[in-house]
Amino acid sequence: MIGRTPTGEREAWVGLASTPGVGDVTFERLLATWGDAPTALEAVANMSPARADEELAGTLGLRRRTGLAAAIRVAAADPGRPERAMLALGGWVLTPLDSAWPVSLHDLEEPPPVIFGLGSPASLVVPRLVAVVGTRHPTGLGRSLATRVGARLAQAGVTVVSGLAVGIDGAAHLAALEAGGESVAVVGGGLDEPGPAMHRRLARQLTAHGSVISEQPPGIRPTAGTFPRRNRIVSALARATIVVEAPARSGALITARHALEQGRLLLVAPGRPLDPTVAGNLALLRESPARPLVGLDEMLADLGLDDQVPGPRAPGTVLSGATALRTLAGPEHAVAQALSLGPQTVDGLVHASGQPPGVVAAALTLLQLRGWAKVLGALQLPAGPLLDTPARAPRAAGGAADGRGGSGQRRMAS
Amino acid sequence: MLAILDTAVVSGLRGELVRVEVDVAPGLPGCQIVGLPDASLSEARERVRSAIRNAGFAYPLSRITVNLAPADRRKHGAAYDVAIAVGILLASEQIRASGGPWALLGELSLDGGVMPVTGVLPMVATLRDAGHRRVCVPMRNREEASLVADVEVVGAEGLDDVARLVAGPRGRLAATARRRAPIRVSGDQPAPTGAADRISPGDQGRGLSGDAGSWTELADVRGQQHARWALEVALAGRHNLLLLGSPGAGKTLLARATPGLLPPLTESEARDVAIIRSVAGLEQAAGDRLSRPFLAPHHTTSYAALVGGGPALRPGLVTQAHHGILFLDELAEFDRDVLDALRQPLEDGSVEIARAHGAVRYPARLQLIAAMNPCRCGWYGDPVRACRCPVREPQRYMRRVSGPLLDRIDLRVVMPRLDATELVGAAHPEPSASVAARIRQAWERALARGGGRPNGLLRGRRLLEACALDETARATLAEVAEGLELTARSVHRVMRVARTIADLRDLGAVGSTEILAAASLRDHSLETGPAA
Repeated sequence: MIGRTPTGEREAWVGLASTPGVGDVTFERLLATWGDAPTALEAVANMSPARADEELAGTLGLRRRTGLAAAIRVAAADPGRPERAMLALGGWVLTPLDSAWPVSLHDLEEPPPVIFGLGSPASLVVPRLVAVVGTRHPTGLGRSLATRVGARLAQAGVTVVSGLAVGIDGAAHLAALEAGGESVAVVGGGLDEPGPAMHRRLARQLTAHGSVISEQPPGIRPTAGTFPRRNRIVSALARATIVVEAPARSGALITARHALEQGRLLLVAPGRPLDPTVAGNLALLRESPARPLVGLDEMLADLGLDDQVPGPRAPGTVLSGATALRTLAGPEHAVAQALSLGPQTVDGLVHASGQPPGVVAAALTLLQLRGWAKVLGALQLPAGPLLDTPARAPRAAGGAADGRGGSGQRRMAS
Repeated sequence: MLAILDTAVVSGLRGELVRVEVDVAPGLPGCQIVGLPDASLSEARERVRSAIRNAGFAYPLSRITVNLAPADRRKHGAAYDVAIAVGILLASEQIRASGGPWALLGELSLDGGVMPVTGVLPMVATLRDAGHRRVCVPMRNREEASLVADVEVVGAEGLDDVARLVAGPRGRLAATARRRAPIRVSGDQPAPTGAADRISPGDQGRGLSGDAGSWTELADVRGQQHARWALEVALAGRHNLLLLGSPGAGKTLLARATPGLLPPLTESEARDVAIIRSVAGLEQAAGDRLSRPFLAPHHTTSYAALVGGGPALRPGLVTQAHHGILFLDELAEFDRDVLDALRQPLEDGSVEIARAHGAVRYPARLQLIAAMNPCRCGWYGDPVRACRCPVREPQRYMRRVSGPLLDRIDLRVVMPRLDATELVGAAHPEPSASVAARIRQAWERALARGGGRPNGLLRGRRLLEACALDETARATLAEVAEGLELTARSVHRVMRVARTIADLRDLGAVGSTEILAAASLRDHSLETGPAA
C-alpha cells in the first residue's frame, strides 16, 4: 500500500512487526525506546550477539527471550521480505502509517502493528461491519441460525466478519456470500495457508468477495495463542458482535468480551436454560450488558439497520418471499409456507403441511432445485426468498434460539 | 464279508452321493478308513466302536477296512458314522439286511445315539435323485428331511433303531442287541448336539422372523413419517436402504419392523432358503417356512462369518440372507474388509468362496438395510445437541463406508431424533399389516413387469423401459440431475426409486412427482459434504 511516510520507515516497520516473537507489546516498547522502526532495527542489530537477548530485555523492561535479538537482526538484514512474500501471494500489507488502515482498530488497546490481507482492503473500512461468532461444534439449529443471521445481514448490506473457523464462523461467512454479500475473515496464522484446510475454498471465495486478513506474516502457523488474539481484531473491526452459540469455554466468549471492552454492541442468541451448548450465551446474557437476539428483524433494529435499505438478493433470486410463495400451488405451497416459518425436519413439514411424506419429499426436491430450500443434516432450511418471508400468521413464541420473531412481537415491545 | 451302503455329503449347497464299503476280514484287529478322509473322519473310528458296543452289539475282533467312494473327493464331517457302523454290523453278520435298500445319514454318540447333522435337506434330495426311495436320518433332522418330496424319511434315535430298520421284520438281530443306559452324573438332560444346534451369528435374526412377537409393529413406532415411508419404498422395490441418524432416533426399531412387512417367499424361494438353512446348520421350523430371512449380525462379525467359509465351506450370513434382508446396524463400525465383501453379493446376487481345496459359489440375493450414526459421537447435524467430534471427524466417519458400497445403496434417509412431544403426541400410526399390503401389491406389480426382477435390480435398458418416462418426466429428470449435480449413477438410483414410488401409487409410467420424491431420498451430506 502507498504510505505517506518514507518507504524506508514503512519497510522497517513491517519488517520489525513481522519478526517472529515481536508481538504488539514488544513492538510498542521497541518503538517507544528507539523512536522509530529503522532506528530500532539498527540498534538491535548492532548489539553484541552474545549478550543481545539480555541487553534487549533490560532495555525494553520485558522478560528475556532467547533468540529474539537474533530474529530482529535477521529482519534488519532484509526488512522488506514479509511484504514481498505477501505481494507474491497476491495480497497486501497495511500498517497504521497507511491511509487505508481501518480506523476501527484504533479502539484497541494493543492494536496490531501490521495487517496482512488477501482480497479487498476496502472491505475493512465499510461502515456496515458486523461480527458473527460461535463454537466450532455447533448444533444443527445453531448452524442454521448462523446461516440465517449471515444471510439476513448480507441482505441488509452488512459485511459479515468472523474467524473462518469450522462451525458457526464458516456457516456465517458462507451464508453472507451465498446471499450475494461480502464477508471478512480474520485468521490466526499466515495467509499462505489461511484457516483450516477444509475451508480453503471458502477462503478463496472470501478473497473474491471481501477479504481474509491476519496479523501474522505468511509462513506463520497459528498457535493456541494466536486464535484468541485475532478475536480482538474481529470485534474491533465490527460495530457489533453477534454470539450465535457458545458453550462455557468458547473462543467466541473472548470475542464477546473484547466487543464489550471496545464499547461495541453485543447481541447474544438466547438458548434453552441449562443447555450446555449455549452455556456461554446464557452467561453473557446474565452477566453482561449484552442484548438478546430475539429475531432477525429485531436484530437489524438493534443494529440500527432497519431502514429497509434493499441489500443484495441471493444470486438468481429476484423474488420477495411473498411473491415466491404465490408462484407455488397445492402441496408445494403448503410445504414452502411451512418451511418459511423456519428450519424443520421432514417430519415437521409433514405435520405442518398436512401432506403425506412422499408428497413433501417431492415438494422439497422442487424447492431445492429452485434454491429455496437447503439440507443440513436432519434439517431442511429455508433459503432464497423463503428466508425473507415475514411470518404473517400469528405464531406462539417458541423455538428458543432460532425463533423468528413475528412483526406482532415487535409491536408489543415498542 | 463285505457290506455296501449309500450315504451322502454336502458340497456347496448340493449333496453328493458317497458309497461306504465295509470289509470285515480275519486278521489283526483294527479299523482302517480309506478314501481321502480328513482328521474329523478319523475320529469316526473311535465313535463307531463305542457306539456299536453301547448299542448292544459286539465290535468284531477282526480286520475292518472302510472305503469311502469316490476316493478322489476329500471327506469331512460326521454324517457317515451311522453308515459305517451299520456296515460293520452287516459285514460282521450281526444283522442281515432284509429290510430293503436304505440310505443312511447321521452322526453317532458313544452311547449309540444318532445325532443330527447339517445339510440333511440337500443330501436327502441327492439320494432321492440317485434312486433311493427310503432314507434314515437322525430324528432331529426328520422334519427337515421330509421337506424333500417322493422319498420316505424315517428318523432314528439310536443305532439300534437303524439296525432294526435295516434288518427289517424278518431280519436277525444279535440276541444281546439292547442299548445300554449310560451312567448320567449330570442328570438326564439331552446330550448337546452337533452343528445343527450350534449358535451362529445368524441366529439373532431367526427369532425375529420366526416369532411374530419379536419384530416391531409399525403401529408402535411414533413419528418418523418420512423414514417409515422410505422403508416402505425400500421394501416394495428391494432397494438397499441406509438409515442415518443420531442415537435414539429409532433406526434399529424401524429396521426391525421389516419382517412384518415383507411379502412371503414363493415356493421355489422357500426351497432355496430351506436348503441354505440346512447346510448352515440352522433349524427348519415348519411354521415360518415362507417368511423371509432377516439377519441382524453384530458389528464384530468376521469376514468368514459374513461371506462363509471354514473347512466345510459353509454358507455365510450373506447366503443365509438370500431372498431376505441383511440388517447391519452401526454400519461404520464393521470392519472395512467385511463391508467390502458385501459388494459382490449386492452386485451379482451371489458370493464365491475359494479355498485351496475347492471353491463354491453360493447364492446371496440379499437386500441390505443399514443403519449408522452420522459421526462417532452420534450428534453431527442434530438440531439441538452439539457434535463433540474433532473437526472433520464426521466426514472421516462417513468415509469408513466405502464409495462402491454406498453406490449400491439406492435409498438414504436421515432420521432426526424425536423430541418428547412427538413421542407422546403423534397420531395413530399405520399398523404393519396395511403397509405390508401396499408393499406386496407394489412388489407384485414390479415383479410382473420386470419378469421376476425387483426394481432394485433394474439396470441399463431394462430400467429405461420400466420407467417409461414421458417428455415432461424426462425434462424433470434432466433438471433434477443438473440442479442437484447428480452423477450418472445417482440418476439411475433416482430412476429405480421413482419406479417403485410409482408402483406404490399404482402408476404405469413414472411421472415428474415420483422423480422429485425419489430425488429427496438421497443423503445430501454423503454427496456434497456439509459446507461449513
